[in-house]
Amino acid sequence: MSLDVQRQTQSLLDELAARQRWHFHHILIVALIIAFLVWCANGVDLRPRETFSAVPVIADYFGRMWPPKWSFFSEIWKPAIETLYVALWGNVLATIVGVPLGLLAASHVSSSRIVRSSAMGILNVFRSISELIWAILFVAAVGLGPFPGALALGMNYGGILGRLYAEAIENVDKGPIEAMEATGASKLQVIMFAIIPQVLPQFVSYNLYWFEVGVRSATVLGMVGAGGIGFELITAIRLFEWREVGLILLFILAMVTVIDLASTYIRSRMY
Amino acid sequence: MTAVSFETAVSAGLAREAQVRHRRYIKQAVWGAIAIAVLWYAAHQIKFSPYAVAAGVPFMWDFLTRLFPPDLSYMSVLGSATIETIQIAIWGTLLAIILSIPFSLLGARNTTPHIIVFHATRVFLNALRAINELVFALIFVSAVGLGPFAGVLAIALHATGMLAKFVAEEIESVDKGQIEAQLSTGASRMQVILFGVIPQVIPSFVGYSIYRLDVSIRSATVLGLVGAGGLGFSLIQTMKLFKYHQTATCILVIFLLVLVSDWICGKLRRKVI
Amino acid sequence: MLMPNAQNTTTMLSVRGLTKSYGGTIHALRGIDMEVKKGEFLVILGPSGAGKSTLLRCLNRLVEPTEGQIFHNDVQITGNRRNLRAVRRDFGMVFQQFNLVRRLSVLTNVLTGRLAYRSSWRSLFYNFPQEDKRIAIECLARVNMDHKAFQRADTLSGGEQQRVAIARALAQQPTVILADEPVASLDPKIARQVLTYLREVAHELGITVLCNLHQVEYTREYAERIVGMSKGRIVFDGTGAELTDDVIHRIYYRDPDEETAEEK
Repeated sequence: MSLDVQRQTQSLLDELAARQRWHFHHILIVALIIAFLVWCANGVDLRPRETFSAVPVIADYFGRMWPPKWSFFSEIWKPAIETLYVALWGNVLATIVGVPLGLLAASHVSSSRIVRSSAMGILNVFRSISELIWAILFVAAVGLGPFPGALALGMNYGGILGRLYAEAIENVDKGPIEAMEATGASKLQVIMFAIIPQVLPQFVSYNLYWFEVGVRSATVLGMVGAGGIGFELITAIRLFEWREVGLILLFILAMVTVIDLASTYIRSRMY
Repeated sequence: MTAVSFETAVSAGLAREAQVRHRRYIKQAVWGAIAIAVLWYAAHQIKFSPYAVAAGVPFMWDFLTRLFPPDLSYMSVLGSATIETIQIAIWGTLLAIILSIPFSLLGARNTTPHIIVFHATRVFLNALRAINELVFALIFVSAVGLGPFAGVLAIALHATGMLAKFVAEEIESVDKGQIEAQLSTGASRMQVILFGVIPQVIPSFVGYSIYRLDVSIRSATVLGLVGAGGLGFSLIQTMKLFKYHQTATCILVIFLLVLVSDWICGKLRRKVI
Repeated sequence: MLMPNAQNTTTMLSVRGLTKSYGGTIHALRGIDMEVKKGEFLVILGPSGAGKSTLLRCLNRLVEPTEGQIFHNDVQITGNRRNLRAVRRDFGMVFQQFNLVRRLSVLTNVLTGRLAYRSSWRSLFYNFPQEDKRIAIECLARVNMDHKAFQRADTLSGGEQQRVAIARALAQQPTVILADEPVASLDPKIARQVLTYLREVAHELGITVLCNLHQVEYTREYAERIVGMSKGRIVFDGTGAELTDDVIHRIYYRDPDEETAEEK
């Protein structure tokens, strides 16, 4: 009996050892991954020694930003507010772009496969191209200023939001839809009374979250001439006015923090 | 219930419905008016109007016709820039993953050594999150020179902020029972983290890291605008030279790259979760 | 010490004047005095909120008591935080929700019972000495779960998870096992199976068991000694035979505060 138990224990110990042993293919996979990463590092000039020696250099640059040049504030508050306006209208435009495309891309709403996949295709194009590239294109088309910035955010975030809207619609509880159809409601009525009430809080929550992200993006649109504080930022960096850079970064940080807190508060209150 | 009292009950119900409805209308009207006022003012400030959009359309159309057709022969030139973009994203994300392990442990209430460390870490991570990778890239280009290395660092810092905050929140929401069980065996703090916390957060950590890689690839496509390597550089160069057919090729390649990365990362994520 | 019957008469745990209050207003324990003999299978019976859980957690100091002393093998274990790991190592614990780390294998879960014996740095690479692995497998075999050693914990049924949790507690090589409502989330057949394992293993290894239960029928079946708790006080201490309907009424329905007032 006890010999039996001992034998059993030993066999399990052996099995454990076998499971933990390194096999040739494990080593091969690890070696391949390491080789791939080394190749990547080589391609981007990432070398251990230079990376470590870059740390003090970067710290020095951030050190030069302190103390911020407070007097510069009078020149940046206006573009900073403009950044918020761009983000706000970007969000509104994104909703205008996203809602119809999102509805068309959702299977509960549009029954035609062709409509669905072409709506999804357009959303993918909008989504995949970064807001900055959109901004460059719009600046080239309609000129400098915050207006192309808002359009750019509208396109990029319209694609992102549209896809999220479509997913939200696909995931709604089907019970109320069935119940509504059973009463003889039309398609539009089903959308208005069974789908929209279910997805509306989620839509608002997505919009708030992507507004937060939009504010962060809007701070760089100015680098390509699409309005907001990015222009002041890139100018200050080009002129090596590090204390001005420090103030702008601090201001962006404060702005983003306040918006994050507000939006988190609203989202937590909503459900 | 008699017919009369039934009638009163119904009319009382209707009256209440009307009251509730009116109150809701007033509330909606007030909020709507505020929203419209804010939007109208904002639109005025950024010179945005339906007229501006309408006036812009012919220009946009004109620009679009100049982009088409993309110069497909230019694709072969973009090969190395595409690879560089991917390499920047991979190393940026990898560095972020490594950095976010200590930062997420320091920035979670239940694993932080001290509450002051917790708050300091959170402020630091929020700063990394708030500052766009392009801003970091600009600063790093000044600090370490033009090239993909600055891009890697920029992606790494911003992604660290994002990843570490997410993981810290995951650590805070682990199942307390499993932690209590480990504590009750007499395990040390570090052992509890190793055997109780880490196994619980690994799947969401891996999943979010893959998502971050996807986002980083998208970001890496524009780092070149400020000289930090990748496809963005070709994009801005061809535009400055008015070679719009080549610009269109750049956009096409970026679109395809993002689409493929989105597809692969989505597949990988579904596999781990 | 040399008495032949020493094993049955030595005191394993002795609790004096144990109280626990939260913020000075909520009193979970209001002066617990009790002695537990070595190898005893003791059931603490009472409704939820009686303080059973807090009592067990005070014993291995997952909860720090407000007042009172606990002696384990005649050594005071309260008051000093330096010996905390060693104290907890001596007390195995079994939970209502099993509390296995769901994503780790059954064997690794049992191995976590060995953590207190090893330094933190040694655990860094999830590596255990051979001796620990042997102990863990033996403990798994005791609850007949060795055939599932390499499965992930979350693939097991509730009863199986609780058996693994018992094995984890055994791997600590404890002198006492604290079981906090170990069968509250299991159906009756499985519950009896788990309690049987707990009792038999404890008997074989001479481990003292303190088991919280709220079901009277299991208590009658398994307990050698029963302690009844109500509102943070001990209101009964005796054998299964002494657990009459009147006693049960006292544990579950009567307010002990009123009772003491009546006696006065």
